[in-house]
Amino acid sequence: MFGRLVKESFVRNPRRKLLTAAALVVGMAVATSTLTIALEVGDRLAREFRSLGANLLVTPQSDTLPVEIGGVDYRPVDEGAYLSEADLGKLKTIFWRHNVLGFTPFLDVPISIQQSENAAPARTMLIGTWNAREVPVPDGTTFKTGVSITHPWWKIRGRWFRDGANECVIGAALAKMMPGIIPGKVIYVSNETAGNSVQDRSTPKAMPLEVVGIVSTDDAEDKAVLAPLEIAQKLSGHPGMFRQLFVSALTKPADAFSERDPLKMTPTEYDRWFCSPYISSIAFQIKTILPGTEVRTIRRVADTEGNILSRVSTLLWIVTLTALIAAALAVAATSATTVLERRGEVGVMKALGATNTLVAGIFLAEQLLLAIAGASMGFVLGAVLARSLGSSIFGMPASPRLILFPVVLGLAAIVAFTGSLIPLRRAARFSPAPILRGE
Amino acid sequence: MFWRLLWKLLRGSGGRLAVAILALASCAMVVSALLNLEFDIERKLTQEFRTLGANLLISPRNAQITGSSPAEVMSESEVSAAIQSVKDPNVIAVAPFLYVVGSTQNTPVVVAGTDLEELPKLEPAWRIEGQWKLSPAQQTMCLVGRKVAQQLKLAVGSSLNLTYLKQNVQLKVAGIIDGGGAEDSQVFVELPEAQDLASIPGQISFAQLSVSGTTAGISHYAARLASALPAYDVKPIRQITEAEGDLLSRIRLLIVSMIVLISVLTALCVLGTMAALAMERRQDVGLMKALGGSIGRIVTLFMAEVGVLGAAGGFIGAILGVELSRWMGQRVFGQAISSRWEIFPLTIILMVAIALAGALPLRLLGKVKPAIIFREQ
Repeated sequence: MFGRLVKESFVRNPRRKLLTAAALVVGMAVATSTLTIALEVGDRLAREFRSLGANLLVTPQSDTLPVEIGGVDYRPVDEGAYLSEADLGKLKTIFWRHNVLGFTPFLDVPISIQQSENAAPARTMLIGTWNAREVPVPDGTTFKTGVSITHPWWKIRGRWFRDGANECVIGAALAKMMPGIIPGKVIYVSNETAGNSVQDRSTPKAMPLEVVGIVSTDDAEDKAVLAPLEIAQKLSGHPGMFRQLFVSALTKPADAFSERDPLKMTPTEYDRWFCSPYISSIAFQIKTILPGTEVRTIRRVADTEGNILSRVSTLLWIVTLTALIAAALAVAATSATTVLERRGEVGVMKALGATNTLVAGIFLAEQLLLAIAGASMGFVLGAVLARSLGSSIFGMPASPRLILFPVVLGLAAIVAFTGSLIPLRRAARFSPAPILRGE
Repeated sequence: MFWRLLWKLLRGSGGRLAVAILALASCAMVVSALLNLEFDIERKLTQEFRTLGANLLISPRNAQITGSSPAEVMSESEVSAAIQSVKDPNVIAVAPFLYVVGSTQNTPVVVAGTDLEELPKLEPAWRIEGQWKLSPAQQTMCLVGRKVAQQLKLAVGSSLNLTYLKQNVQLKVAGIIDGGGAEDSQVFVELPEAQDLASIPGQISFAQLSVSGTTAGISHYAARLASALPAYDVKPIRQITEAEGDLLSRIRLLIVSMIVLISVLTALCVLGTMAALAMERRQDVGLMKALGGSIGRIVTLFMAEVGVLGAAGGFIGAILGVELSRWMGQRVFGQAISSRWEIFPLTIILMVAIALAGALPLRLLGKVKPAIIFREQ
């Protein structure tokens, strides 16, 4: 009997149900897509923040003091400690290897450059680095990385040098100072400390490098020559070595827990810290895998990222919450309307002896069916919506999360129920006679 | 007549209209809060970005590159006069820098002469152990980078002897800086100390500025500054400005799409309410038609009703939205988001539009045939 009544109600008057269902579908679609985006946004924004470049700096531990101004190390090549380039593949074997998005070694060499073999030399720096290097990882794969990942704001006119080739790019300020140097031209570079032992042992007098591009970095590199790391190693007489490593890693915003000293944590806390992608734990893992190094957090980048990420995700949760509330109110309002509309029906049922419980039961059963149907369709629609929103906002579609389905289903049921409860309570007070008379 | 009818209609179906107003007002509240946020987020977030440090650099044109001494310098007074003349409230910190490679304990070390008082404002992300500034009496104090402290075994309060050529200065370590970059291997002293050391009074290597605001605002300020300083290079530091603009546009797109989604939902709710209302009022419409009311007039009446609903919902919602955005700002940024007055009419207009869009199916009422309606009775 009960089931038949509910069924009849759907068959007899589908139009009325349609409206509530439509509101539920749209409401739940909004809920699904906002929740999907909110779940994903932290991850996506963290990736966006990598456009700020590297957030970790690896240097040799037992080093002399770098003579460093604006990212360029002016120390002579025979001073200080070096790190081995061959070990770098190991960075992709740490626990958070997938969060290591890129790393680039740097070796700065004071040089003098000549526009032709007999021209007067000018002093500057040569920065050896990677453009796009396939780094062999101990597990047999390779990993492609270079300056475009750790220093994405560097702009090149012309093209980057090929790794390993006798090519170079020159800084914009240097290009302005020495107007003779244009892409296509060959410059001759030699170690500034020419005549010393390093120079005499291995390198020829001047090394010809073809200029292939002009780079602008808005920093000290603008006044230098950038060349493949091998060139810098050859010039400095330190094959396979480098001095600084910039690492760009995806991290979770630092909080009070991540700032604690890992040595003072309990084993459980330590595991939790180690297994969270905090910048401090990634730094720790890098230091473990590359012994003899010092890993520093570049605070400007890490702090800004952390601050903004945590603010934006709080903001997004609030926005999601308010969107959910607005969606819930709109859906509840619609179901309230459809219940109000059926006062006549309630009157008839009551006149025929239906109790308030039965009437409420029928209406709620209807709402539940609607909620299930609306939530399922809304979930699918919302997933599609989230995909397109994700790709328009982050350039990558947001993948649907099945875990949200029960959440959305529960939400739909609650909203549809509460929406009909208020009119139902009023309906319970109706006396059938006036309603049936049409008042 | 029109207004009296409108009033009657509004009063007649109070419960149902209350539902529509509720939906409209909740939508208006969220939308106006989001709009407020959308207008203010740029300012709020660009302030956050200032932890990135300086974003504007004034440097001598055609500076020479040398490893050990400041080859090209510029006049401190000229630069500071220009910065004074181009006033802008968005300038957070200005710091002149003079770099000298001096030595201490026979180790070469980069000495940065700057305005130590401006340093914490310029670089809010740097951590310090000790103090940024001692009392003014102790002129000869310095801040050392973490690596310097490690290498030279310095602690807060220890003293440091800096040499450059034949100049010599005795300094006291006030604090140890941990910044993670080049600053960790530098020694920061007051600008005059560095100038004395290098024997170039009144000269600096470059000046750094931290300016809050949008990318466009910063380049505008840079352009004004450049015209006041024709002899120097004034340029925004790109690492920072580019990332800012990109992130901002994404966050704003997110907010705008939320606004659109919520508006669609509300329109649907209004549609539901209005469709139900129209069904209920078929008899009224039949009667009006039978008495000679034109369709245009009847639909106008209904639309006016919906418009009033939209305006009322928008009004209530906009007021609540001010509170919501204040709370949001407090919760997210730790300071209230200032409400703009433009949001108020904008929200109301938007709500009226949404309500009217939701009520468009009411035009179907035109098809009502009075005779059929009455016969049904």
